[in-house]
Amino acid sequence: MNYKAIRARDAAMRGIFLFCAIFAIFALGCITVFLFAEGLPFISRVGLTNFFGTRWHLSSASYGILSMIVASLYVTALSCAIGVTIGVLTALSLFKFCPRRLVATIRQLINLLAGIPSVIYGLFGITIIVPFLRDYISPVGIGYGILAASLVLAVMILPTVVSISLDALNAVPKNYYEGALALGATSEQGVFKVVLPAAKSGIFAAVVLAMGRAIGETMAVIMVIGGSPVMPRSVFQSVRTMTANIAMGATELSGDAATALVATGVVLFVFTLILNVSISLLRGASQ
Amino acid sequence: MTNSFKTIIITLVTAFLFVACTGNAAPPVVTTPVTTPATTAPTTPTAPAFDTSRSISLTAREDGSGTKTAFMEIIGLKGKADPANIVIQTGTAGVLSEVRSNPGAIAYESLGYVTSDVKALKVNGVAATVANIKDGLYKISRPLSIVYNEDVLDDQVNAAFFAFLESSEAQKIISDKGYVSIVDNSKAYTIDGSLAGSIDVSGSTSLQPLMILLADAFEELQPKVTINVSGGGSGTGYKNADEGVSEFGMISEEFALEKAPSCTHQIVCKDGIAVIVNPVNPLDNITLEDLKTLYNEEAGASAITKWSGLIK
Repeated sequence: MNYKAIRARDAAMRGIFLFCAIFAIFALGCITVFLFAEGLPFISRVGLTNFFGTRWHLSSASYGILSMIVASLYVTALSCAIGVTIGVLTALSLFKFCPRRLVATIRQLINLLAGIPSVIYGLFGITIIVPFLRDYISPVGIGYGILAASLVLAVMILPTVVSISLDALNAVPKNYYEGALALGATSEQGVFKVVLPAAKSGIFAAVVLAMGRAIGETMAVIMVIGGSPVMPRSVFQSVRTMTANIAMGATELSGDAATALVATGVVLFVFTLILNVSISLLRGASQ
Repeated sequence: MTNSFKTIIITLVTAFLFVACTGNAAPPVVTTPVTTPATTAPTTPTAPAFDTSRSISLTAREDGSGTKTAFMEIIGLKGKADPANIVIQTGTAGVLSEVRSNPGAIAYESLGYVTSDVKALKVNGVAATVANIKDGLYKISRPLSIVYNEDVLDDQVNAAFFAFLESSEAQKIISDKGYVSIVDNSKAYTIDGSLAGSIDVSGSTSLQPLMILLADAFEELQPKVTINVSGGGSGTGYKNADEGVSEFGMISEEFALEKAPSCTHQIVCKDGIAVIVNPVNPLDNITLEDLKTLYNEEAGASAITKWSGLIK
């Protein structure tokens, strides 16, 4: 094979690799353009007060998604409050307090949780959590709502929180902990007062990542949230998140109503974008 | 190696425990409905006592669903929004599983999809049965019809499709899809090999999905015929049939001559919607007015929120 042929082949392969690299960016570009080109004109046509109003009623051309934004934020906040508390404490336990022999096993099992499809979480929620809340916890006899969705999501985000927090804790130099002990601190004081604060930017990244997962989760949420497009006033009340709104209507609606779903997608996209940018900033800050 | 082995063992044990636990928990949910179908319904309250102070858990379908549109239209709430406390299920299966598992739930579903483990209520004292829908006694039903100018039947292709709609093949599709067939003693369609041409059908989006299936079946029998089925709504159905734009228009309401003066109509099938509750619920009958109050967003002070408001 002569030199020229090899050069040509190299160039061709370089082209293919470049195409692969660009493909993902191209897809991102397409989705962004589609969302904004369809959604923004719609929002400006129906008006901000209509679109960010509280009434979603398609036959009277009311496309208010404020109640869904609020519901999405509530679900995200509550699920992170539960998930992050359990997750960070789990990470701390695996970091110092758990019998050494169990650490690898527990970690692998928690990671296994990440591999369960979200529809299974939804199924678990709808067959176990919702009836349980309805029959034993809820004062109004309704199991659907923010609490059910948050409990399901809290379990879903556990693996993210645990593994990233644990990595962050492990990344803290050993001599911080040893130094604390040398100064007379107990092991608990060393972990909680020295190592944990030192790992806080990593743990914060875990929280933001978990929030991204929680706000974007659709399937598991749609099955346990209830779906009524009203402003949340209780955790035991049928409400609708932005993701549920899009998924519920996507196959049934047409015309303006379908475009309203794209516009909902724009808002959701902006929220996830903010979360992703803040992750990058946090990562940048910690390095 | 040993680590992953250990993991697998622990996973299996966990999974087994989980299955064992849920396996024990599940039967009561499943078996109680099965033992109390409509047979014990009238007077003997053998089922576990039903707490009438329980909230009514209103269940509905998502916006855009044909069943929802039909139901809201028939009970007189066309285009109205759902009450705030509604729980929305995005499919027939979701509605059924909610009613099956939640003693306080009430929902509506196309009659053809209602299974024996939920209880269909009488409406205004009339049971939701195929016979009652055929006779027009059961209120939450409506005819799905085609409207056409009688002249179009002079055309062989149109006449053949018209005949096909009454054939046993068509009736089978109608029943299989959960609609109520109103043709007794239907005969098999006779294929005419020489038939070729195209038919345009447009109108009601409620009839459209069924019509597409019927058209597909017809095209399979008569490969040289193509049928275009499009939507637009009942109004479009009347208009297109009257103006000759389509050979057949589809409507999902009682035929109104003034909307298409040159046309006549033929009922393709009927669409019945059952109101369903959990089998442990002692309620047997509901009035249309109560249903309207339940599903009315603007019911205000007259809203019924507890089962005691319905069970007297």
